[in-house]
Amino acid sequence: MNWAQAIIASLKAQAISMIAFVPDVSIDKVTRLMEKDPFFTVVAATREEEAIGIASGAYAVGRNAAVFMQSSGFGNSVNAIASLCMPCRIPIPMFINLRGQLGEFNIAQVAMGQATRPILDVLGLPHYVLNASDDIEKVTTGALQLCYGSRQPLAICLTPLLTGGKLV
Amino acid sequence: MFRYEATQMILGCLQDQPLVTNLGPTTDELWAAGHRDRNFYTFGSMGLCSSIALGMALSLSEKVISLDGDGSLLMNLGTIASIGREQPSNLIVVVWDNEEWAQTGRQKSHTAFGTNLEAVARSCNITHTKTVTDLTQFKSVFKESLTTDGPWFIVAKIEEGELYPLMPQEPDATLLRFRATYLS
Repeated sequence: MNWAQAIIASLKAQAISMIAFVPDVSIDKVTRLMEKDPFFTVVAATREEEAIGIASGAYAVGRNAAVFMQSSGFGNSVNAIASLCMPCRIPIPMFINLRGQLGEFNIAQVAMGQATRPILDVLGLPHYVLNASDDIEKVTTGALQLCYGSRQPLAICLTPLLTGGKLV
Repeated sequence: MFRYEATQMILGCLQDQPLVTNLGPTTDELWAAGHRDRNFYTFGSMGLCSSIALGMALSLSEKVISLDGDGSLLMNLGTIASIGREQPSNLIVVVWDNEEWAQTGRQKSHTAFGTNLEAVARSCNITHTKTVTDLTQFKSVFKESLTTDGPWFIVAKIEEGELYPLMPQEPDATLLRFRATYLS
């Protein structure tokens, strides 16, 4: 089982069947598998805050939902998280591909990629980085359980050491 | 047409279908016109009302109604494209269009300068669309949207009326009440 398959197994174990996403070259390795799996409804959003809204709507009617996006898109979605998920206590797990890490080639990705986890800290939201040496299914499942247990959003971050990153 | 009387009309047409409301007067007036556990009020996240309703519609078979506003939807026109892409037959988007940001000093919004939200929806492949200007016409179109497949996109031109009291802000209670109706 590779890391993408391990994430999918964790999602299924928590009955997370609605996925809203904005494409990214690394999370594509997961969303591509989910789109072929009838367990999931995979919805492409035009912008990451929209994905937060779609996932929140699904949760409100009793369906667990997750969001996949890049760190730049996390920047686009901060107010949705802070003014919808947090006050309503809507637990949305966010899988964020962190740009601006080892091997980054695009200067425009550096600041937001490196600010993502500090912004989560300021919001008081937990975040975990998946490393290649981790038991991916165990860490992801634990994070998802905490998300529902605390009824707050949290982030599970992917890095180039896990995914291979984006090559020039 | 005033938003409050139009909100009362909508409530009169519904059984227990879920309603999602844009922040501000749309939320306050739904609360005043008739609280139901299936009302999902929002207090922030401007622009996301119809995105929330889209997530609900893709997870339910019953009709889902979004009560959005022109200023809010202008922040997130992309969600109209997502509705056109997903084609949820059970989604009804109503846009209260007063052509202004009423809550921030009545500045004119882009719909006062030619932006046609119904035309935006049609160009995003939403075929059931209408712009209505009076309550009789709105009632007829809204009833049709409840009984025929959508997605529907209805622009309701309104004028601002009297202000209703602020709804007690209770986002966590809103979520719990609303969601409980879907958990058996």
